[in-house]
Amino acid sequence: MDTANSSGQSQADLLVAVQKRKQANFRMGVGATWGILLLILIFLFSGKSIGSYQTIQLNTEFMRNNLAFIGGGLGQTLFVSILSILLAMLLALLTALGRLSTFPPIFALSTFYVSLIRGTPLYLQIFFFFLALPQLGIILSGVLAGVLALGLNYGAYMSETFRAALSSVGKGQREAATALGMTPLQTMRRVILPQALRFAIPPMGNDFISMTKDSALVSATGFVHELMWRAQKVGRAQFNNLEALLMAAMFYWVMTLLLTFLQSRLEAYLAKGDR
Amino acid sequence: MAPIVRISNLDKYFGRLHVLKNVSLEVQPREVICLIGRSGSGKSTLLRCINFLEEPSGGSIEVDGLTVHSHERGNEHRQRIHEVRLKTGMVFQEFNLFPHMSVLQNVIEGPVTVKGMERSEAIALGEKNLDSVGMLFKRDEYPLRLSGGQKQRVAIARALTMQPRVMLFDEPTSALDPELIGEVLNVMKKVAKDGMTMIVVTHEMGFAREVADRVLVMAEGEIIEDANPTALFSAPKDPRTQALIERYRTGGR
Repeated sequence: MDTANSSGQSQADLLVAVQKRKQANFRMGVGATWGILLLILIFLFSGKSIGSYQTIQLNTEFMRNNLAFIGGGLGQTLFVSILSILLAMLLALLTALGRLSTFPPIFALSTFYVSLIRGTPLYLQIFFFFLALPQLGIILSGVLAGVLALGLNYGAYMSETFRAALSSVGKGQREAATALGMTPLQTMRRVILPQALRFAIPPMGNDFISMTKDSALVSATGFVHELMWRAQKVGRAQFNNLEALLMAAMFYWVMTLLLTFLQSRLEAYLAKGDR
Repeated sequence: MAPIVRISNLDKYFGRLHVLKNVSLEVQPREVICLIGRSGSGKSTLLRCINFLEEPSGGSIEVDGLTVHSHERGNEHRQRIHEVRLKTGMVFQEFNLFPHMSVLQNVIEGPVTVKGMERSEAIALGEKNLDSVGMLFKRDEYPLRLSGGQKQRVAIARALTMQPRVMLFDEPTSALDPELIGEVLNVMKKVAKDGMTMIVVTHEMGFAREVADRVLVMAEGEIIEDANPTALFSAPKDPRTQALIERYRTGGR
């Protein structure tokens, strides 16, 4: 009995070990391939030649000289993105709540806003705030115009995320709160929202990551000195667009990798929580 | 003695479906009523009309001297419904504990948020009720980590901490694994013994026989039989009641 048990135990251990090895092999394979692809990419821009074929030659002196200038836009990119995501979250929440309203004007306001914003390009919206409003005597700084446009735009899209999160809280929760005598407002604040926000955090993280990149559009105003604006400025001036844009791309990419990593940690943390 | 719950000529439609047909019922203080019947007979709907989770289509509900007529509207009407909800505690089939709150938070949420009770007072009361359902040892645990039976006992403590006059149970053991049913029924027996007025929608015939003062049988939106359990189970009058009891007997409960 005892031996049968322990051999059953080792059998299970063996299966787990095989499983783990398979997973480790897969991860290693993926990592190695990423490494190779990265090396190929670097090689393509190394300026070295294979036979009569020459890879792309970059002006490394230009890159060294302008690294600090372009990288200096990172702060502005994050600043605009963070302000915009905060505005977007607020608008998204209000809009999602408005979609639950049984009062026609509130419901209509929500759907109208979402329809208008989703029906027009983000690029146009940024220009609208920066270039069209001055015609009406409203002059916004580049940052403000950018934050308003990005916030309004993402707020409309993110309201759907919030709506899904709100409706993912079961009907029983509302009934339990009502049976306790909670008013609709108390039910929303104490029972529905805390649960819904939890569902909404991972998709909001995704939205934030894509916003850091859409914030590049704000450079079009010419007055927000973020990554993209700086890359264009030095690139055009010295006709080194290739180098300048590549550098900006690397900054965006690394930033996205970091944020994605943080996002996955946050998701793991939430999954481990009390739910 | 004046009844503590009086349901008069209650009607309920879901769309065109006539779910409750002119139902009247009086419940005395400290009485334990079991509502039985096949699914779709209207017993849950009747229970949910008492605290207005379902809005009655006609008739009136009186709880502890407070009457709400279904045809009324407006702020005063809403206020009376609110007060009726404060006088009734509800236990659901699916427990419906708040998953983002600990056991204790679940129990004190109502008194603190709704009644404005002092936190310390609510905690003392909540702990007393958790103790009486045998769940004080899980005070700081989250619902996710509890078994179904434990969740339902916490849900009972949550309802009791609102200090209701009447407790409503909507099939409180139907979502439980068979081996967990006993612990919940025992808690319910204890609540009954403490003198709580209870209206229980259930399929637990043993519980009905042992604890109920009256058993009501519902069919097609009407109360077809209303008798003490001994009389009802030994000599059911309506053939539908006979068929129902026969089904439970062969079903082994």
